[in-house]
Amino acid sequence: MVSQYQVIGNSAPRVEGIDKVTGKALYTADFSPPGTIWGKALHSPYAHARILSIDTTAAKALPGVHAVITGRDVAGGMYGRAIKDIPVLALDRVRFFGERIAAVAADDEDIAQRALDLIEIEYEELPAVFDPLEALEPSAPVLHDGASAYQGMKLPEGAPPNAYSVIKVDRGDIEAGFAEADVIVENTYHLPRVHQVYLEPQSVLIWLDGERVQVWTCSKAPYNTREALATAAQIPEESVVFNPTLIGGDFGGKATPSDLPICYFLARASGRPVRMILDYTEELMAANPRHEVVVQLKSGVKHDGTLTARQVRFLVNSGAYAGYKPAGIIRGSNQAAGPYKIANTRLEGINVYTNTVPGGHMRAPGEPQAFFAVECHTDEVAKAIGMDPLQFRLLTLVEEGEETAFGEVLQDVLAKQTLMAAAEAAGYYSPKAPNVGRGIGIGDRPPGGGQGTADVTLRPDGTVLLTTGVFEQGSGTYTTFRQVISEELQIDPERVEIEVQNTDYVKMDSGLGGSRGTRIYTTAAYDAAQAAKTELIGLASRQLEWPEDKIAYAGDEVRRTDTGESVRWADLLARSGDTVSGRGHIQDSARPHFTSFTAQIAEVSVDPETGEVKLLSFTTAHDVGKIINPISHQGQINGGVMQGIGYALMEELRVEDGRVTTLSLGDYKVPTIRDIPPMKTVLVQSESGVGPYQIKGIGETPIGPVAPAIANAVADAIGVRVRDLPVTAEKVFQALKEAKA
Amino acid sequence: MQPFSFHRPTSLDETFSLLEQHGDEARMIAGGTALVVMMKQSLFTAEHLISLDRVPGLSGIRGEADGLHIGALTRHRELEMSPVVRSAAPFLAEVYSHVATVRIRNQATVGGGLAHADPNQDPPAAFITLEARVKLVSRNGERLVPVAELFSDYYETVIQPGELLTEVIVPPVAPGTRTAYLKFLPRTEDDYATVAVGATAQMQGGVVQKLKVALIAAAPTALSATVVEDQLVGKSVTPAAIRQAAEAVEAIVDPLDDFRGSSSYKRDMAVVFTRRALERVLQDGA
Ligand SMILES: Cc1cc2nc3c(=O)[nH]c(=O)nc-3n(C[C@H](O)[C@H](O)[C@H](O)COP(=O)(O)OP(=O)(O)OC[C@H]3O[C@@H](n4cnc5c(N)ncnc54)[C@H](O)[C@@H]3O)c2cc1C
Repeated sequence: MVSQYQVIGNSAPRVEGIDKVTGKALYTADFSPPGTIWGKALHSPYAHARILSIDTTAAKALPGVHAVITGRDVAGGMYGRAIKDIPVLALDRVRFFGERIAAVAADDEDIAQRALDLIEIEYEELPAVFDPLEALEPSAPVLHDGASAYQGMKLPEGAPPNAYSVIKVDRGDIEAGFAEADVIVENTYHLPRVHQVYLEPQSVLIWLDGERVQVWTCSKAPYNTREALATAAQIPEESVVFNPTLIGGDFGGKATPSDLPICYFLARASGRPVRMILDYTEELMAANPRHEVVVQLKSGVKHDGTLTARQVRFLVNSGAYAGYKPAGIIRGSNQAAGPYKIANTRLEGINVYTNTVPGGHMRAPGEPQAFFAVECHTDEVAKAIGMDPLQFRLLTLVEEGEETAFGEVLQDVLAKQTLMAAAEAAGYYSPKAPNVGRGIGIGDRPPGGGQGTADVTLRPDGTVLLTTGVFEQGSGTYTTFRQVISEELQIDPERVEIEVQNTDYVKMDSGLGGSRGTRIYTTAAYDAAQAAKTELIGLASRQLEWPEDKIAYAGDEVRRTDTGESVRWADLLARSGDTVSGRGHIQDSARPHFTSFTAQIAEVSVDPETGEVKLLSFTTAHDVGKIINPISHQGQINGGVMQGIGYALMEELRVEDGRVTTLSLGDYKVPTIRDIPPMKTVLVQSESGVGPYQIKGIGETPIGPVAPAIANAVADAIGVRVRDLPVTAEKVFQALKEAKA
Repeated sequence: MQPFSFHRPTSLDETFSLLEQHGDEARMIAGGTALVVMMKQSLFTAEHLISLDRVPGLSGIRGEADGLHIGALTRHRELEMSPVVRSAAPFLAEVYSHVATVRIRNQATVGGGLAHADPNQDPPAAFITLEARVKLVSRNGERLVPVAELFSDYYETVIQPGELLTEVIVPPVAPGTRTAYLKFLPRTEDDYATVAVGATAQMQGGVVQKLKVALIAAAPTALSATVVEDQLVGKSVTPAAIRQAAEAVEAIVDPLDDFRGSSSYKRDMAVVFTRRALERVLQDGA
């Protein structure tokens, strides 16, 4: 296929790339209004306790300390993204190990830390609950007695203790479905908490500059975060301005209010600009990790491979608060039955409070959990009827016009094509050495929606300014903007300048997340470019007295279509001493009816004596729309797979008695380049997509099926199944031992 | 981090004076890779840091008749890449290449690494099996201590207050010595060992002439596995003998539960990897 585009579809270097590699790029930590001091918070050493007294006298007396605040100094402020259930500072009760109780602003970080050490607190420990199943028991301690009063909370009626959201779906007749089955398979899967491990820790800086609250922070959704801060601080949203800064890695975790509300009260109490940056111990202990989830799956299947029924119980351990989730709950439960045709399904999805670190967002929230459960389960069901896992999937995957397990009808479904492409590339049926196995994972996700704005200005010097409110977190949106403008205005990319505006720019912008970036912002930029062209033609018509319908935009020029006369638009603008602009605004939150499939195949070898799993190769196939920037697109695939490998084999925020114990990156390990096997990417071209270029999202899809592909490969290699991540050598070793016994 | 004074003595004599003057409140710093992390985590505080970087004569590698002399301030990376080490004791260079990442190896020193005495560190596996000794120097003189006897507990050595490790001496490696270092890294390639085993051996006509085995990450200190050696030296090698000798490590290991594995798993793995190391040095291609 010959591309109709000049720029779109060709790899483009990063707009901010040179600045990043030369150290010129500015992140939150690089900003320092005059007089900036350091803030630090004191974290609870108990998972659940009443606070009897707090004595800050000694801390306040320490030289170099400018302010010490506690729950009494924050005016009852509560914060959160959708559900405002997190006290800015705990007032009389702490609900997780690591919860913020008091905070100090001091000349430097070391003094702040010493002041924190001087704060004396008396606690009375309370019974705590850590396990999401136990938290639902009638005897469990209740974390939030007044939950229904929280702003944004819609408490379900008759829910068990600590459950603050219960989703139920019943489709078909589940009992009849199970009755029809030849075999019933029932398994429970456990997914641990993991951290995003962005390089830049959560960083905030607040300066109360007269009437305005000036903010620098690493939020990729600054408008949402502004609302959360304003609500917590009980100040008008318009008084707050978030200033542009780059974000040093996100992976879903960089849109939380983080320590902003605390920082605001410290700035108020000290009268100075205050900066707070988590150290990595605080990150691992009390930031906003991916949720622990327990998934119970029960399936009925006939010997011929027909799935007759599937029941899903998806239990999300929210931790002590719900406030770090943009929608109050995470998705995933809706995908835990997989992209399979099943006539009778039942879903119960519960979000439950426990005395553990609150979960937040991480790349494809809920999906890696759901995919791990259902894709491992799919292999277990296939095994129960003696069918090859690939054949079983080909038999049961949804096709065009069919309903998914929970009743969605999708268009342009490429599930089987994507799976077959992966299988062929991986040599799925080629001979294997002993103790070598291959495993499959498949899943899908449409791009998310939201709203965004872009302005395009043509300037007399022939350059073009693209104005945006996006704070880039590394996924390449600025570069996409430049490509779109370069394409639509037919000019060299170097002539496109990107200008990032603070949050006074528009009323609302969703920012990045949910694989919406390319969907929303290519459309906004495209529309802005078209609008600017229309403006330009209007100007040309007025200036040159040409009929408007006879003027066309042609690269550097405007041209008369009837006479062939042309004028450089830069000259036109120079003459009029003016610029022309166009705005694109898009608001589209609908879930598209087409999705994007990812099918992955892992090949592993297992050492039967030690349980060690070696990843030999990894194949990842994606059903894609138009790819705007191939190198960025591949980067998302590689990064997603790598993060998935970490999830599969090594990452886990270990929690003992409610306390995270993996408190350094020496204990909490992520994969390095030496752990990554040869990778093969296969792209399956789809005819559909969203927006002017028919794109599909890629930011989140690659991570989901990685872990089940690896766990299924381990089972294929050595015959034992590990149902809780990560699949460590020791777990495989234990499973082998038990299998022998 | 707590504030501290930073001293940079320019002679051994001055170093001893500073150590005497500040006693318990002082600590030497070489590469700082271990010490600074501990200070940042408040695991350890010192009022005075005495940097060894300007003390002459503590760095560099010399080959002499009695073996290699490796100065305490020699960086890991320098040792690993040294042509002298690579020809006289390639096993040592190989083991050092397993330490952390090249960034750490560029900064960490040989003496600092030994004095740190974390039982998870790799180099003692080579030093013990090559029968190296360290030179400890104080105002009152000097003494030589075999690396096998240097460590007394987690992060503890027999180095006395006022004493300084100045060099490591690795005796000449007999021609035909076979070596193996197996570092078990089941999580990620960038990690401390779950367990690791080093072995050196000399064989003649299928009979074990000499054997040295050391275990890492298996006990409060790096372990010299003489129980294994005693079972095999002077005997001809059979798979059964190797298996049985390897099982003897169960009696001497005492590993910690940590994120690299439970104590019982490490115990099992110590046996597996001891056996595999023995097979390498006693059997493979022999
Ligand atoms: C991220 C990371 C990963 C690591 N991974 C590994 C690994 O995989 N394998 C491994 O083996 N090691 C590993 N290490 C440990 C590393 O080997 C040690 O940190 C290093 O060897 C210490 O050397 P140094 O010169 O930096 O010592 P320093 O930090 O300067 O000092 C360490 C201790 O030795 C004392 N000291 C220093 N020099 C002398 C001397 N001449 N005489 C007496 N006492 C002295 C100091 O007072 C201090 O107590 C890792 C370390 C880090 C930070």
